[in-house]
Amino acid sequence: MRLRRIGLGLAASSAMFLAGCARNAPQDTWQPKGENAQKINNLDWMVFPLAGIVGVLVFALIAYILFRFRDKGQALPTQSHGNPAVEIALTIVPALILSVVGVFTFKGIFELAKTDDTQMVINVTGQQWWWEYDYPAQVVNGVEITQPIITSGQLVIPTGTNVLLRETSRDVIHSYWIPALNGKKDAVPGRINLLRIQADKPGIFAGQCTEFCGLSHANMRMEAVALGPEDFAAWIANQQRNAEAPAQATLAQEGEAVFLNQCVRCHQVNGLKKADGTAAIAAPDENVYSGAAPNLTHLMSRNTFAGATFDLLTSSCRKNVWTASPEEFGSAYLKGVTTDCLNQTDLRRWLRNAPAMKPMYADPIKLARSDGKYRGMPNLGLSESDIDKLVAYLSTLK
Amino acid sequence: MAIIERPAPTASVSLRAPVTPAQSMGIVRRPVTSTGWKSWVFTVDHKKIGIMYGVFAMFFFIVGGVEALLIRLQLATPDGKILSADLYNQMFTMHATTMIFLFAMPMAAAFANYFLPLQLGARDVAFPRLNALGLWLLVAGGLILNASWFLGGAADGGWFMYSPNSGPVFSPSNGVDFWTLGVQIAGFGSLIGSINLIVTILNMRAPGMTLMKMPVFCWMILVVQFLLVFSLPVITVALVLLTFQRSFGATFFDVAQGADPLLWQHLFWIFGHPEVYVLILPAFGIISEVLPTFSRKPLFGYPFVVFSGASIGLVGFGVWSHHMFATGLGPISVAAFSIATMAIAIPTGVKIFNWTLTMWGGKIWYSTAMKFAIGLIVLFTIGGLSGVTHAVAPSDTQQTDTYYIVAHFHYVLFGGMVFGLFSGFYYWWPKVFGKMLNEKLGGWNFWLMVIGMNMTFGPMHILGLQGQPRRMYVWTEARAGEGFFNFGFWNRVASFGSLILAIGVLLFLINVVHTTRKGKPAPLDPWDARTLEWITTSPPKEHNFDRIPVVHHLDDFFHRKYQEDATTGAMVQIATGEQLVRDEEANADAHIHLPSPSYWPIAIAIGVGTLGMGVVYGVPIMIVGVLIILGSSFGFVLEPSVADDIDYDPPMSGGQETKELAPLG
Repeated sequence: MRLRRIGLGLAASSAMFLAGCARNAPQDTWQPKGENAQKINNLDWMVFPLAGIVGVLVFALIAYILFRFRDKGQALPTQSHGNPAVEIALTIVPALILSVVGVFTFKGIFELAKTDDTQMVINVTGQQWWWEYDYPAQVVNGVEITQPIITSGQLVIPTGTNVLLRETSRDVIHSYWIPALNGKKDAVPGRINLLRIQADKPGIFAGQCTEFCGLSHANMRMEAVALGPEDFAAWIANQQRNAEAPAQATLAQEGEAVFLNQCVRCHQVNGLKKADGTAAIAAPDENVYSGAAPNLTHLMSRNTFAGATFDLLTSSCRKNVWTASPEEFGSAYLKGVTTDCLNQTDLRRWLRNAPAMKPMYADPIKLARSDGKYRGMPNLGLSESDIDKLVAYLSTLK
Repeated sequence: MAIIERPAPTASVSLRAPVTPAQSMGIVRRPVTSTGWKSWVFTVDHKKIGIMYGVFAMFFFIVGGVEALLIRLQLATPDGKILSADLYNQMFTMHATTMIFLFAMPMAAAFANYFLPLQLGARDVAFPRLNALGLWLLVAGGLILNASWFLGGAADGGWFMYSPNSGPVFSPSNGVDFWTLGVQIAGFGSLIGSINLIVTILNMRAPGMTLMKMPVFCWMILVVQFLLVFSLPVITVALVLLTFQRSFGATFFDVAQGADPLLWQHLFWIFGHPEVYVLILPAFGIISEVLPTFSRKPLFGYPFVVFSGASIGLVGFGVWSHHMFATGLGPISVAAFSIATMAIAIPTGVKIFNWTLTMWGGKIWYSTAMKFAIGLIVLFTIGGLSGVTHAVAPSDTQQTDTYYIVAHFHYVLFGGMVFGLFSGFYYWWPKVFGKMLNEKLGGWNFWLMVIGMNMTFGPMHILGLQGQPRRMYVWTEARAGEGFFNFGFWNRVASFGSLILAIGVLLFLINVVHTTRKGKPAPLDPWDARTLEWITTSPPKEHNFDRIPVVHHLDDFFHRKYQEDATTGAMVQIATGEQLVRDEEANADAHIHLPSPSYWPIAIAIGVGTLGMGVVYGVPIMIVGVLIILGSSFGFVLEPSVADDIDYDPPMSGGQETKELAPLG
């Protein structure tokens, strides 16, 4: 009777534990959405129940002992010093259990390290506090990337494809982690680490930098976006385009002038030309310690900005993307940030005073040891009208 | 007999030890008083040093606890505003640093210092002045570490202080400088202490106490000291490299100059993983004393517990890279360290089983000490099992640097280590202070800590597995999931739990105050204990034992009280603890020698601290520090181990007491 009650209690508490989890947590490690994460999850499903069973047995034994051998006024027990047979058995049994776990772990480690079936390569570079993605020229599933694509924040990959991320860092150690697709792998400066990902279905998968990387570590996020073959081809085609100059005599054109005056020191927009007609080339290495700033050519094709920390989409438009079914996801994502969906509030706050929204090393007093170079984006002191113009210009960067 | 003994007239000194010069420096008198603050600051008595370690550690337990509460307050809501990002990073760095280097290690040192000689049947440790030096170096290190709060900000790189984020560019305040220096200096103290304790254990056991008749607590302390001797030099090297990079322009961890940032990680974790066992094994030792005492039977499988402890120590040096599964070591290294990590679960499991089976067939007395010991077994088992889940390296790549890991090591270190230490407080309080801690308050203390601890760290398992990374000064609704049980709910539970935990710890402090004021005087043998520390008065006399005990059994004290009846086989009491203690007093040794107090340990520590500050604030201060170290080292080396006659005021006439010169040390 008591045993049954204990059993019921256990069932109830494990059910409570499972029900106690958040629904649709975007970074849930138990919701694999691709082959690699699935392999890890299979190992989880082996070791967690095993650990649980061992735990329950040990606790049941302890509870029994605590009840049975409490001081009821019995005589002083025999001063026995142990039982070698029991000892040896209790050493061998856990060793056997662990060897089984070990064999599967061994297999899993080598399977996850495989790279010989890679179908696509993307270079992933971490810096304080955002990720840059650089797609080398290659042919992916028949779609040709003719010139390298440089983007940031959201990593776009084709579904069902083994993508190899080649990770490194420009400053401190970061760690790339999209839980739905694979475990994490550190981006170490001076090294290139390989991480394989693959997504079964179209969708968007959240991630976060998981190696402490300084002041704004909490604000260094990323998202992986998986698109079906046609949608991916469309995305590639769009990314290969240069930015178009805004129409004459528009607010956007005035914004372009502000951009050329201020932003282009660090941020590249492919195809942007100076007033004299020569190409405007950003020089982030002169201003930023890590030597890089996000390429903004197709800013409005991404849903987020500032290290995927803030949304470019208003919350209702964002919801449409995140909750889209796999069939509809591609078209929802490829719409990009349309004018009615642009999250003006956050974008304007950012342009007004970026370090107030996301802590960064922008205070000149603190820059002595980094040769006066910023770590992150400084407050540019833009006027409200400049901000209006810039927002209009940035909206054209589809 | 005087507490601080005076030397006998020269004629009656038996010259077993080298005769030392009559006066050390010829300038200052030895601080021979036995009362007042001087008797503490200049003491070389292992018991006073032990108590000071304990007070120091308890103070920093509160400091680290307040830091933890601030962290939980910040994380109680999304986008918390209590702490800035900068301050939060300092807070979690210093929380871990404080808890590990300024609470856990010193508290273990407190227990080791106080009880090791008592359990071994010795009058003091092997090198009493080095013992004092270890303490004062730790104090110097602790002060430097925490001075940073007031001198431009504390270290902000995490207690693991990964390079290159700890370099001068990425952490421009002086916080990391104070951190490296403070940890180095405290580390010197630990290293000195560990050599001292190893020599003590190997050389100063009572006659008849073979190593396999030594209490398990002493065994675990011995293993810990070896871990320290082999691991502390590694972190010291790493810290020296980092100090030179930050303060003197070296480039050991500068990637632009071709450095590999993983060098730091290897150095750090070769120290850092054995360090985990440095923290937990003393607690294992404590409950290996408490469980037999309150189960009224010997430890089940004593040799297995001893050797599993030793093998945990040994294998503990071969698993460091499991902290680095995500750094890209390559599958072969990962596989090897993954398997080694699973292997270490086996001796750990052996310990759990042996403690459990110690209670089997016993007569369990649920004192507060016993409750905490049982709490350790259960909570540590949870932490151990979650540890096995991240020995599976692929799973670990999902878990590492999330709250799941935070949950794991708090179950191990809070549920394991802290509960073990609290068990020790309740068990040994009457021995140290001669008064019983209140058992009723103790019960509340225990249950609030159990509930608070599980509410705080339990939900972190869920948070971590569902993707909340650690070391983030804010978490956001966008990644918090949906439903009633979203991250917000669990973060609030954890924060609320931390408050209950704090109240639990507060009850202990209240209990201490209450006991000091109104506590009942403790009987000489309140727990019907088993080991030698109970064969003397509470608190013990300065010379510990009136007569050095001769040991015949494991748990010798118990076997002096009880004998097996030849016919029935039942245990029959033949003497009470009180009788045994009186018997010892009646047969006191004629010759007792103890070393005299000294100025030099604290003087050297002041010099080392000054040198450390000089690294941050300039060469002149360094020179002052070096001069103090040199001067006081001469004093240290040249003074005799026992105070000379003229150090006393009035000078002793001599003749009533005889004593031998202690060996130098």
